[in-house]
Amino acid sequence: MKHEHDEVRSRNESFSDRVVTRIWDEEPCPDNPYLANTNRCHGYDLVELMEKRSFVDVFYLLFRGELPTPEESKILETLMIGLINPGPRHSATRAAMNAGIGKTDTLHILPISMMVLGGAFADAGVIEEGIRFLRKQRRNDPSEVAGRLLKESEPPTEGDRILAPGFGSLYGSVDPYSKNLVNTILELPGAGPVVCWGASFANEIQSNNLGWLRAGVAAAVFADLGFQPRAGGGLFQLLNAPGLLAHGLELANKPITAMPFIADDHYVIES
Amino acid sequence: MSLNPKNSVIEFLNEQRGIVKSRTGGWFPGKGVFCHGYSMMDELVGEKSYFQVLILNATGKMVKRPLADWVEAIYICLSWPDPRIWCNQIGALAGTAGSSVVAATAAGSLASDSRTYGVRPLLDGVAFIQNAMEQKRSGQSVDSIVDAECAKHGGKPHIVGYARPIAKGDERLEAMERVSEQLNFTEGEHLSLAYAIEKNLRDRFDEGMNINGYMSAFLSDQGFTAKEVYQMFSLLVMSGVTACYLDTYDRVPGAFLPQQCRDMDYQGAQPRQVPDP
Repeated sequence: MKHEHDEVRSRNESFSDRVVTRIWDEEPCPDNPYLANTNRCHGYDLVELMEKRSFVDVFYLLFRGELPTPEESKILETLMIGLINPGPRHSATRAAMNAGIGKTDTLHILPISMMVLGGAFADAGVIEEGIRFLRKQRRNDPSEVAGRLLKESEPPTEGDRILAPGFGSLYGSVDPYSKNLVNTILELPGAGPVVCWGASFANEIQSNNLGWLRAGVAAAVFADLGFQPRAGGGLFQLLNAPGLLAHGLELANKPITAMPFIADDHYVIES
Repeated sequence: MSLNPKNSVIEFLNEQRGIVKSRTGGWFPGKGVFCHGYSMMDELVGEKSYFQVLILNATGKMVKRPLADWVEAIYICLSWPDPRIWCNQIGALAGTAGSSVVAATAAGSLASDSRTYGVRPLLDGVAFIQNAMEQKRSGQSVDSIVDAECAKHGGKPHIVGYARPIAKGDERLEAMERVSEQLNFTEGEHLSLAYAIEKNLRDRFDEGMNINGYMSAFLSDQGFTAKEVYQMFSLLVMSGVTACYLDTYDRVPGAFLPQQCRDMDYQGAQPRQVPDP
């Protein structure tokens, strides 16, 4: 049966002539319009930023448009150190190691492991939802929110329980790494209301072996620092990147036998 | 830290340590390579087409050759060498920057995991037509199905699988209808409904079906779920990306759409002095 379709024709949409940016201004050299004589980040000359401000300050500026207060800068720096390495057993790190040991072009270690870190179960894929959850709930009583969520879902028969984006169990227990990271942040003068709310919420669920997860800590700090939910996942990837690259590179010069290769008698094909 | 004296997660994970459990297959040196119950070297290589095996790995289903050929034709339709398309431009930029062809093709393919175009909208496209089919079976008219969907978008016909960015109409529909006919496929109930929706949209909004709508309906008639369709097309755009990469890699480095400083429209803060911390 022959069907009639629209004739293909352009919508003649109006596309921008130039890309608009509010982040970076490149002032061209007088004699070469392709070369930038001066680079400004949100109005600040990059050379002046190099001379006067820390990397963390300029990182914050790049994404937020304004320089941070000393308190905000300290909070972000603390989180950056806390997230600098997801650890050698994390799936993303192991992906980096596989790239390294497999003699994959070392340029690919970071993009490969970043993609794995984008996972939606407990990693970068959770952050956006985590920020939205925290922003929505932070004016509610953490005890009531915890009680409601605990009633609404049952623990799974196998594996960890995720109670809310960024909160749950890790290997069946409260994650001490995330808890320590939050406690360090809470001691800082710039600790924000979202992290404080999250800490109260985590206290309420601790008796159920649930608590902060790394993604939750990141989401809470990002929310306090004013980062938009959609920026959160990528920022989480960025903050974890150093550890991923370091572990991949560590194995890049080692023989392929330096990593386990599961023997055939431990390989089970399930029907 | 655990308050739970008997941590069932630890017990569960301990049972998995050091063991690969596969529902797919594996390679056992000296015995063979196995894929979803098939001996790859004996039953797949030279016996089945690449797309039959691709669909097998993506869905667990061994489809007949005509359907695999149909999917292969869709792969041709959905990947063309025009670097103005966003995923392809990533390939072109990778070429002009001197990245490797694998990096370029992977990067462009990753870009097609988009809310707007490429592979991911197939999830919504299949969900829409299967949901619409349920509504039709429960007695809803095509008019009311379209109305309900448009109501979600402020009355506009923004239905995944219908209308299309940049252009109206879709040249790929007639090409694929020809392929379907050549492969002796008949029109199933999802595709018939999709055509009825297209007619409704054409009459009321001057909008038609696009290739997503056609694929989603056809593959629903073949019994695939939205998730299976998404999985089957994960590298849908790769070929066009590779083509666009090579077109720039083989030219002067940095010469693809070069931009002068003032080609960017800076609308941010005016120059200001950096305060001391």
